[in-house]
Amino acid sequence: MSQVMLRDSANETPRQAPLRFVRKLAPFVGLFGLACLLPLTDNAYFGLIIGRAAVYWVLVSGLNLVVGFAGQIAIGWGVALLALGAYVTSVLTAGTAFAPVSPYLALAAAGVIGAIASVIIGLPALRLRAFYFAVTTIGFATIVTQIAMAWQSVTGGGIGVVGPTFGGVFSTTWGFYYFCLAAAALCTWLSANIGSSRFGRALLAIRDAEVAAEASGISKPVMLTLIFLFAGAVGGVSGGLFASLQTYITPDAFTIDLSILFFIAILIGGRGSIIGPLFSTVLLTLLPEVAAPLAAWATFLYAALLLAIVLLVPGGFANLFDFKSRKPLETGRIIRPNEEILPGLLSAAKARGPIDIENVVLSFGGVRAIDGLSLAITPGEVHGLIGPNGSGKTTVLNAISGYYRPDSGTVRLHGAALPSGAPQTRAGIGIARTFQNPRIVGEASVLANVMIGGTVLGKSTFIETVLSLGRYRREERELRERAMLALAAVGLERLADVRTDRLQHSELRFLEIARALMLDPAFLLLDEPAAGLAGDEIQLLGALITAISRTGVGVLLIEHHTDLVFDICEQVTVLNLGRTLAKGTPAEIMAHQDVIDAYLGG
Amino acid sequence: MIESIISYGLAMGAAYALIAVAYNVMFSTSRVFSFTAGALGMLGGVCGALFIDRLGLPGVVGLLATLAFCAVVGVVTEFVAVRPVLRSLDQHLYVLSTLALCLMIQQFTAIEWSTVPQPFPQLIPVDLLGIRERFWMPVVACVLVVGGLELLYRHSMIGRAFLAIAEDNFAARALGLPERGLRVASYALAGAIGGLAGFASGGIMLAFFANVSPFNFYGFIPVALGSIGNNRGAIVAGIALGLFQQAANFLVGGVFSSVAVFSVFIVALLIVPQGLFGAPPARRV
Amino acid sequence: MPISGAEPLLLVAGLTAGYGKLRVLHGVDITIGRGELVAILGPNGAGKSTLLCTIAGLLSKQSGRMVFDGRDLAGLGAKDTVRLGIGHVIQDHRIFTHLSVQDNLLLAGYDLPRNAHLARIEEVYSLFPEIAAKRHQPGAALSGGQQQMLAVAQGVVRRPKLLMLDEPSAGLSPVLVDRVLAVATALRADGTSVLLVEQAVQKSLGFADRVYALAGGQIVLEAATSEPDLPQRLKRAYFGQDQAAP
Repeated sequence: MSQVMLRDSANETPRQAPLRFVRKLAPFVGLFGLACLLPLTDNAYFGLIIGRAAVYWVLVSGLNLVVGFAGQIAIGWGVALLALGAYVTSVLTAGTAFAPVSPYLALAAAGVIGAIASVIIGLPALRLRAFYFAVTTIGFATIVTQIAMAWQSVTGGGIGVVGPTFGGVFSTTWGFYYFCLAAAALCTWLSANIGSSRFGRALLAIRDAEVAAEASGISKPVMLTLIFLFAGAVGGVSGGLFASLQTYITPDAFTIDLSILFFIAILIGGRGSIIGPLFSTVLLTLLPEVAAPLAAWATFLYAALLLAIVLLVPGGFANLFDFKSRKPLETGRIIRPNEEILPGLLSAAKARGPIDIENVVLSFGGVRAIDGLSLAITPGEVHGLIGPNGSGKTTVLNAISGYYRPDSGTVRLHGAALPSGAPQTRAGIGIARTFQNPRIVGEASVLANVMIGGTVLGKSTFIETVLSLGRYRREERELRERAMLALAAVGLERLADVRTDRLQHSELRFLEIARALMLDPAFLLLDEPAAGLAGDEIQLLGALITAISRTGVGVLLIEHHTDLVFDICEQVTVLNLGRTLAKGTPAEIMAHQDVIDAYLGG
Repeated sequence: MIESIISYGLAMGAAYALIAVAYNVMFSTSRVFSFTAGALGMLGGVCGALFIDRLGLPGVVGLLATLAFCAVVGVVTEFVAVRPVLRSLDQHLYVLSTLALCLMIQQFTAIEWSTVPQPFPQLIPVDLLGIRERFWMPVVACVLVVGGLELLYRHSMIGRAFLAIAEDNFAARALGLPERGLRVASYALAGAIGGLAGFASGGIMLAFFANVSPFNFYGFIPVALGSIGNNRGAIVAGIALGLFQQAANFLVGGVFSSVAVFSVFIVALLIVPQGLFGAPPARRV
Repeated sequence: MPISGAEPLLLVAGLTAGYGKLRVLHGVDITIGRGELVAILGPNGAGKSTLLCTIAGLLSKQSGRMVFDGRDLAGLGAKDTVRLGIGHVIQDHRIFTHLSVQDNLLLAGYDLPRNAHLARIEEVYSLFPEIAAKRHQPGAALSGGQQQMLAVAQGVVRRPKLLMLDEPSAGLSPVLVDRVLAVATALRADGTSVLLVEQAVQKSLGFADRVYALAGGQIVLEAATSEPDLPQRLKRAYFGQDQAAP
């Protein structure tokens, strides 16, 4: 029965899949098709404007991944990279610093230098607060233009430098126009490949649910470095094309207003979208040209638009046109976990030994949050951890997850100590977890959220992904199938395509379990999974957790619902003020006078 | 040369410090850094020139009108760019909303006022200890503001309420403090302080729409280096910044001075993200 | 079901509330009579603090009704409920450590007329002599117990009709717990109603007139403290084997 349910609700029939693909592709083809026809009008002025839009898009396609996907407020980044790319290309072809080189070689150099500069501008994001980072990127933009102004012998200072001209067929206006269009199309394809891959989902997770990203094995430094490298490369190339398009560049061509334009294009188009920012880049480039009287007010209008977007539609216009998410969802939905699927999802007997916590002491500012705790999470068993307020339950979980370094004592996995201070390593060794407050990407689909949990399963490289090569496509398909299976196991497969922020609270709890199951975990740490659930849902949850442990997974269950804990746990540990108050089977615990006193007060 | 470095450096440092205080005053009640701090500094200069030179108001009236106008801009910031995004502080929408408002103010000024620097009127043609007005005025303004804030925080009910909200917003609300009203008041106060920064440094910076960026950037450095919410740290860091910048200006030239300032700033931030004057006391909850 | 027949001071009926999608309170009904000391007990995560915050207007309710002293509390914020006479001492004695003890108490009566206010503060000092001695010291200089005294004192400055105390005994030594509870009893003797959220169950039972047990966002038990089998019933309500019990 489970197989039937799976097929008709979620897996598309072979006929639907290409249809959806065509529908997704149509706006891109339409836009680029129109642009290709523009030379028929023989209007060189419009050729220049659309060419500029294409050049801008080359940059924005990369920046979109940084801002729209990864959520980094790199305001000054755009103009800094544009200026850098423009000057590198122009200076190298003009030969003011070294012997002149071919413009194509110069363009490639701009890409390489752009990628390096981008990482330098971007990586402070790992250490600084959002506003600080925004200010430093603006600072970088100012510095680039100031150096261009000051380094007269090379950049020509305020007088400027001639932009490169590409030879052969690209030397004509329309020839170069097609060159820019091709670059824009290529960048669209590359960035869309990243956006829809495990890298794109990882960026969304970093943006909206950073700790869940870490728990899924996503390393923020690695992800941001990759994405800043890519964005910097296309940004540098965009600068080179810009210089050629302008034919002549001076430092005052690169004002912060331009950066704002790029930024607004992304926000208007919608975070996490590719087509939205593409359209709005074109529109925003055209706007001041078609409405000449507005030109003086252009920056003012951009700013007003930015304010309106932020206040009224923080999701951008992509959300506004997301008609699918307006359709009301079925009300009174019931979660129906299907435990029969679990064995197909979880490979049996992978854990060679338990997680052993021995004499762990952990203090914060002199207060001992955990004071000499020992417990073992055994494969195939559910271990309950209960205790009154502030007794240190979640601290235990965070110590296992690697957020805290114990002052003394050890956390071992079949004998080997688990490294502390590295939460992103846990997914790789089969330790999955859920959170007290569900950590999800609200704007992404339920399916995408579950797939985030399988990030570490992906073995294809970033390059394979960017170029959408065979191994990547195969992995992506397998990941999708596995995620559907996980959703079916927890009973949410009917909601796979729904935007996650439309789900009820209880559904999010089950979604987090599905995401954790993606790993094929040896251990599952659940932090208050029943909080906010109704009575019958708690029953279903209990059965699901039991079934998961039956497949050989060791479960740590932190809960306030003592009835659930006593119902499904093999072993229970009671914490009070960081110390173990009692330990034993549910029956022993229930009869334990100290426990009753702790709960009923002394 | 040393004299120039010190007089320019102190004056500019005092102006940056005042902008930093404006950042801090807004932050204390809302946990938001607002890009409009720089716009307020710019408006201080432009309003001074507008009210006194163009409209011919007496100096004192012109100053008061400038402060009042900037206070209104502060309140508008709170209503338009801060209050609507407070619910989603973790999404950092305030960075964008305040930047947008700041750009709107800047562009409006550029179009309706002038795109070239306009002279700022001389008010009191008196040298203080042999120092010209444009050099002593920012320093005096800074001293007055710091003294005034100390008085406010120590001896007035509203000042105590500001401190309470800054320390623990939830507890302050639970006590029944009018949190929203206090936030608006703090934005008005920050507006006046930012305006005063621009007015007092008008003799050096002139009435120029593009002053927004330098005020924003150099005004934020003391906030970051002097530790958030720490006004004394901001004053020290502001003065140090002014002196360093002017020294670099004279020694390595105008363009590379900003490169020098920026490099020092970013390196310092990456080493001590919490600022040089210690983090604010850790919250217990 | 108020024990006293008269109109209750606070009536909460069918209250649901929570944070965003997470609903914490699922239809809570409680009443507090005038001059009554009522304790709310329950395991953590049950929604006790959420209930107090919703009554105080720090959190908006989702549905249900709250009537205090004849006035509907719908749409009122903390600023308004404080003026109506609801004092709310939140968890973890969060006083203002940068401000002096005196300033902390001044802020507790932010908009009271100055002279009456100062007189009230002197009265409060007489209730808490241990903090009166430190009135000019910053809050940070107080010990944990003294900070808790100051937090309770802040709640009392306005002479509230209803004082809500959220775990006032947490982290205090048994002697201090008795002190805090004794103050609550003294206030009750003056006619103030007290709503006490506590984990120190045995102590609360000794002081309160009536208790409610809150579990899973619902009231699972209501009883007068004089009823003999109360501890057993509480245990059942907590460990959930017998939720259907009356």
